[in-house]
Amino acid sequence: MTSFVKIVGGFAIVAVIAASAVPFVARADDKDAIDYRENIMKSLDAQTADLGMIVSTQIPDDNLVAHTKALAILAKQAQKSFESKIPGGDAKPELWANYADFQKRMDDFVAKTADMAASAEKGGMPVVMEKMVPALTCKGCHDLYRVKK
Amino acid sequence: MTRLLQFAAGLAFAAALTLPAIVRASEPDDVIEYRKNIMKTLGAQAAALNATLQGKAPAESFTLHAQVLAIAASEALIAFTPKVEGGDSKPEVWAKWDDFSKKMKEFAANTADLAKTAEAGGAAAAQPKMQGALTCKGCHDTYRQPLKK
Ligand code: HEC
Ligand code: HEC
Repeated sequence: MTSFVKIVGGFAIVAVIAASAVPFVARADDKDAIDYRENIMKSLDAQTADLGMIVSTQIPDDNLVAHTKALAILAKQAQKSFESKIPGGDAKPELWANYADFQKRMDDFVAKTADMAASAEKGGMPVVMEKMVPALTCKGCHDLYRVKK
Repeated sequence: MTRLLQFAAGLAFAAALTLPAIVRASEPDDVIEYRKNIMKTLGAQAAALNATLQGKAPAESFTLHAQVLAIAASEALIAFTPKVEGGDSKPEVWAKWDDFSKKMKEFAANTADLAKTAEAGGAAAAQPKMQGALTCKGCHDTYRQPLKK
């Protein structure tokens, strides 16, 4: 009976390990996870710069909606990319210590960029100009959670 | 009251300044920087897509990367249409414009199909279409200057 319980217990442990391994980055080493989230941040940077060039009328607005859509999806990617909670890169230790606050900021970033993308489709440039600053909360998060270069 | 009126007049003036300016021609350097940002997005997102297949990143994010690749490809299609020479674009881009823009159109259509397939059936369904959609190297070999080391 005891050994049966042990076996069952063992299975349970194996199941727990398997369950935590299957969804994602359990196999990734730290550098992979850091490279991955930095690639997402680089994409956010490039799309934000291009949106900025359109809003400041340096570039025609044909891709206006496309950039807002890309930003909304990139925000979702960014949100998921930190869930492996792998320290390092330019993420400050405060990020993991205040993880609930960090997550709240990511949730907010996802919601507001999604709203901007949805409104851009209907309202075009004036709406994007109004929603851009509150949606792109890059600096607010970086000031708290990213190591200054 | 006067202050409020002044403020309102200021806003109207700012709006008048920015809106008609949209039609002015873009500076060549801006056009080049703009399309490079789109290519940078493609570079970072293609790397991230691969990471999801190699167990280095959340597998369920495959679709989010495919979606951004499709959007960025549609942006790229527009970004080269001002036909501004320079950057790392070879003169062949403009000399063989019909072939170049055909390749861009196919790239946009195939990545859109990749994203749709991923939305419906996940990475497993979309993976066989990856090679046919991510025609980066085929285009770069003909139309981009070799990378300076
Ligand atoms: C909720 C927090 C948060 C938000 C919002 C956020 N970032 Fe970041 N960002 C980070 C953190 C943390 C890092 C450091 C990641 C690492 O190196 O591990 C980072 C890194 C970066 C980097 C450096 C990437 C590299 O090459 O190493 C860039 C560029 C960047 N972010 C751009 C942006 C832009 C642009 C936005 C807004 C459109 C944005 N970020 C929104 C938290 C955030
Ligand atoms: C139909 C042609 C074409 C396709 C398809 C294409 N590219 Fe490009 N790419 C170019 C050209 C042309 C340049 C040079 C742009 C310039 O500097 O003027 C370039 C430049 C780049 C750069 C350098 C950007 C910089 O920092 O200067 C990267 C990175 C890149 N492409 C990645 C990709 C990836 C990844 C894909 C596929 C997912 C892709 N490209 C698909 C034509 C293409």
